[in-house]
Amino acid sequence: MDFNHNIPIYCQIIQQIKQDTVLGRLKPGQKMPSVREMAGKLKVNPNTVQRAYLELERENIVFTKRGMGTYLTKQEDIIHSLKKELSGKVIRDFLEGMNQLEYSNDHIMRVLREHLEEGRKINGTYFKKQPIK
Amino acid sequence: MMTLLKYEILRRWKWLAFRYIALIGLGVVFYNRAAATPMQYEIAAASMGKFFLISLIVFVIILVEGINMLKEDLFEQSGYLTFTLPKPGRSILFAKNFLLLIQLILWVIVSIQFGSMFLKFLPLEEMSQFMSEIDLNIYPAILFFLSAFFNFVLMVQFSLTLTRTLLYRNKYSGIISVGIFFLLAYLIEQFYYGLFLVRVQHIYSEIAGEIQVDLISAGYSSVVMNIILSVIFFTATAYLLERKINI
Amino acid sequence: MEHILKSSQLSKYFYQKKALQKVDINIEKGKIYGILGPNGGGKSTFLKLAAGLLKPSEGEILIDGKKPGVYTKSIVSYLPEGNYFYKWMRIQDALSFFGDFYADFDVEKARQNFDFMKLDEKEKISSLSKGMLGRLKLSLAMSRNASLFLLDEPLNGIDPISREKIITSILEAFNPKSTIIICSHLIVYIEKLLDYVFFLSEGQIILEGNVEDLRNKKNLSIDQLYQEVFQS
Repeated sequence: MDFNHNIPIYCQIIQQIKQDTVLGRLKPGQKMPSVREMAGKLKVNPNTVQRAYLELERENIVFTKRGMGTYLTKQEDIIHSLKKELSGKVIRDFLEGMNQLEYSNDHIMRVLREHLEEGRKINGTYFKKQPIK
Repeated sequence: MMTLLKYEILRRWKWLAFRYIALIGLGVVFYNRAAATPMQYEIAAASMGKFFLISLIVFVIILVEGINMLKEDLFEQSGYLTFTLPKPGRSILFAKNFLLLIQLILWVIVSIQFGSMFLKFLPLEEMSQFMSEIDLNIYPAILFFLSAFFNFVLMVQFSLTLTRTLLYRNKYSGIISVGIFFLLAYLIEQFYYGLFLVRVQHIYSEIAGEIQVDLISAGYSSVVMNIILSVIFFTATAYLLERKINI
Repeated sequence: MEHILKSSQLSKYFYQKKALQKVDINIEKGKIYGILGPNGGGKSTFLKLAAGLLKPSEGEILIDGKKPGVYTKSIVSYLPEGNYFYKWMRIQDALSFFGDFYADFDVEKARQNFDFMKLDEKEKISSLSKGMLGRLKLSLAMSRNASLFLLDEPLNGIDPISREKIITSILEAFNPKSTIIICSHLIVYIEKLLDYVFFLSEGQIILEGNVEDLRNKKNLSIDQLYQEVFQS
């Protein structure tokens, strides 16, 4: 994982873990890599990983079982609110970008509907036009 | 100290082995040459002369290397390795000088052994008085020689260490340490030998019950003073190595 | 929090040059520190003072509460720049050497490191390339279970592959009971490893702080911050 060094690395680790959780790359209740393993894999200071894990534990996204390790939460409602948190961020970034382009709210809604109806795949690998209903 | 000694030896074992093998080997060669012509004293003398020359060369090598053992670690990168070892300065210094002592004793034994073998080839009448005198004085002479040698070496080591302490990365370090050495030698000559030699001789003569201002009493008092000086220089150098040097 | 290293008003002068001027540095256990700054700024001098090779001109430096001496040398693993090995040594000789002199040296760990670094014990040290020498020095230094590791420019002149191996090795050796201080002017590669940095220039600390907090506050990488600080 390549890090952006302008912002704290532990924040980026937290983001990545949250994303992996929401996208299902990490399963609920799954055992997380130990601090050392994670640090070795990411080539970062173990204390940084530790800080990330502590923060995640504070937010109840992970929990620690004494002597056994750190685990991802099994609680569906937490994962759900995580998804909401992440998608909320995506939407806020989108809206900020649209505002910078000076789109009004109505205009934003119109453009959004257009895109959804046209059925464009966001990743751009193929475009399939659907007739406007 | 043993570990330090082990690595001092390993560091230069090939050179060590080579010089003694060469010394003994050439000694045997020259001895055989002399033994082959028992009545021709010129050949025996020539062989003996050549052997003594080799022996002298080996001695100089031992001396120079002995001084170099410390100089290397003081002035080159290997100092970073030696002086971060968890060993006190005196142990490091002692190991180097102990190896030097072993070498010197070896050299003395080999040289004297071959020397006496060679002497047997020379005309008996001329040699017998010479031989008896040597027999009497050989041990004090060796003692004097060893103590003077170490006095010299330790003084050089002290000069080198003092230079390293006072000056950091100076290109004139070599010249300055020579300068310090001669300054010390001069001071010692003036004050130490001048004042104390007489004193110690006086004490010895009083103990001995008679005044003997011959070679032996002068020799023994010099030995004592050399030993005292050696101890002083060793302690001073060890102190500098432990507490004052900057590598 | 105990300090494994503590310097108070530490100064070092060489003739006219003030290599360090009244430097106060406190190093806590279990962290990786970076002392960053331009060449000649005092970084190497500080490490050498901690290693016991230099003596302070003024002030003091304490390792585990003691002045540098035989005890501190037994718990400090110092990695200087350059080739400091005895010229006659092969890698296996260096291995025995470290094993003989340092009680905390782990021969097995060193061998594993040699494997990882692709070092052949039979090789003469004098014939190693700069990259391989860097790998060897680090392998040996990190195979000690020291309380304090002092790494002076471990990545200088090292090829990218050796560099990655060295970084991995540093991380692997790190544990809460030990502390690592890395001096470098190549910040880009090591900033991910650091907990805390000191910017040292002309013998004085210009800036110090927790790395993540600095990133947060300044919105800059440590490398960018360094350029900003030393541009002026």
